[in-house]
Amino acid sequence: MAYTVSSEFPAGFDGTAILKRLDLVLDPELDESIMQLGFVRSVQVRDSQAIIALQLPTSWCAVNFAYIMADDVRRALLAVEGIQTVTVQLGDHCAADEIEAAVNDGQPFATAFPGTGAADLSALRLIFLRKGLLVRQERLLRGLRAAGCSSAIICGLRLCDISVRNGIVLAELPGAAPVEAGPAEVLRRYLDRRAELGLDCARTAQLIVDADGKTLSAEQLEQHYQDARMVRVSLEANGAFCRAILARRLADTLGLSSRPTAGGPYVQS
Amino acid sequence: MYNHDGQDIFVIDGHTHLWDANPENWRNKYGESWAKCFYAYHSGFSPPEAVWPFDKFCRYGAEVMVDDLFRTGYVDMAVLNSTYLYEFYKNGFNSHVQNNVLKAKHPDRFLLCGSFDPRDESAGLDAFRKMVAEYPISGLKLYTAEWRGDSRGWRMNDPWAYKHLALAQELGIKNVHVHKGPTVYPLSMDAFDVRDVDYAATEFPELNFIVEHVGLPRLDDFCWIAAQDTNIYAGLSVAMAFVHLRPRYFGEIMANLLFWLGPDRLCFGSDYAIWTPKWLIEKFVAYELPEDLKQEYHVDLTLEIKRKILGENAARLYGIDIGAQKAKLSRDAIGVERAAGVSA
Repeated sequence: MAYTVSSEFPAGFDGTAILKRLDLVLDPELDESIMQLGFVRSVQVRDSQAIIALQLPTSWCAVNFAYIMADDVRRALLAVEGIQTVTVQLGDHCAADEIEAAVNDGQPFATAFPGTGAADLSALRLIFLRKGLLVRQERLLRGLRAAGCSSAIICGLRLCDISVRNGIVLAELPGAAPVEAGPAEVLRRYLDRRAELGLDCARTAQLIVDADGKTLSAEQLEQHYQDARMVRVSLEANGAFCRAILARRLADTLGLSSRPTAGGPYVQS
Repeated sequence: MYNHDGQDIFVIDGHTHLWDANPENWRNKYGESWAKCFYAYHSGFSPPEAVWPFDKFCRYGAEVMVDDLFRTGYVDMAVLNSTYLYEFYKNGFNSHVQNNVLKAKHPDRFLLCGSFDPRDESAGLDAFRKMVAEYPISGLKLYTAEWRGDSRGWRMNDPWAYKHLALAQELGIKNVHVHKGPTVYPLSMDAFDVRDVDYAATEFPELNFIVEHVGLPRLDDFCWIAAQDTNIYAGLSVAMAFVHLRPRYFGEIMANLLFWLGPDRLCFGSDYAIWTPKWLIEKFVAYELPEDLKQEYHVDLTLEIKRKILGENAARLYGIDIGAQKAKLSRDAIGVERAAGVSA
């Protein structure tokens, strides 16, 4: 589903640089790009100021995650050359005033909600970075399992046994021909998150590790896979829910699309 | 009662409301945005023929509800939730006092849920005793994200929550429906986290904890705690709605629930009036779990399991003998009317 983002840039300004930066901002709960989710409604750059309007699926999206997304958007845009100030607008959200005031002034979450015992959000972020790691790894594991790799083989793989050719992941197996194990994008996303979490990414490191970076035995792998699969289903189902609600909301308020139907263009499975 | 291929299926809707979200009842902008958020769930996931106009959604009234559940919606009995939300709604969203009017009119059809708020501390215990003495309370519906003054919520393992749960046990109230929401104190925590239910379920093994919406958006955390504690149950409302718009995800959710909890701890709920039970039940009974999921998870969603989910599991929780209850319901006003309609 391609969402329309209305944009306005000064003559000579490279707007695609902004949109690329925004594409890297994730909904932390869903581990998906806010651009792909359709949360970005408009971007304007005037002189050195960027004004960006977001629309979350409901007014009641959790305030801490709403703050994280708004804050990440601001940081992403400040990193673009030529932009000195950023104004994030949250639109119809139950805590829009508090979040906008704090984020646009570069203030931490605790400042937005004084007296609520709110600490910084790094612990919350970490929980979801780790869930995202499992989800990204589960997609890679599915590819390896579909290619017929046993638990023992998978647990024996090191990063140097994995390569990419023509956009496909190749796994070198001991004493056998290499097997194709899914799209390269799946591997890239997994390795990106693994590095972001500070886990060992040396060529000799095991391909499959748990969220603490510990290696798994062949006996432990099945349970690990079942857990990771459950996290993937949870995140994907939430993503489907958010998309359907946002599509409905945009149709009501902006007339942007008709209602989604079963099997329609929003199906992501 | 739903009839499938000549077989009757007894239906208990485990999650229903009779709310007042009329603009005159909105206390502030939150009352409005709450109603609109629910309406987006309703209109975003219902089949076109089941979508209501917003004004009807805000206040549909008791008679429409009775029709939608018992006359056209195949439901035999319904758990009637109480949700107070006095910070958003002048007269509350649906208090047990308001709900009891409907319960009194159809006493054998509704299982009335009351509530407690641990932030009331010892005064809350007194109010709880009084509520149970004065009203026919069958269970509790706890909403941990409810605002109260400056507070943005509470957790199931707070010390005063335990004192209230101990009192529930003492008063013989066994079923505790738990619903997570977007806020909790402190605000930097994950408000949807269900792991506090794990502590409470371990502390009170004689109580049943029905986690509504299968913990969504934390289905993963929910499956994890439910795999540890056999007195944790899945309330399927919200997950049910996927059956129409996102059948593949519905299958994946059900496969995980059957894998982690088995078929005996899953309870149907419509979340009326967010969704109406008629289409949910029709589509659920007709739903076939995709073959690849059956093979990957080694589970199935047979008619026998659907019967458990639609009514038998909740009947067991609430101590209802389905045979005796059917006989009783055939004699109440709705039962007599239904029988006349069938024979006419």
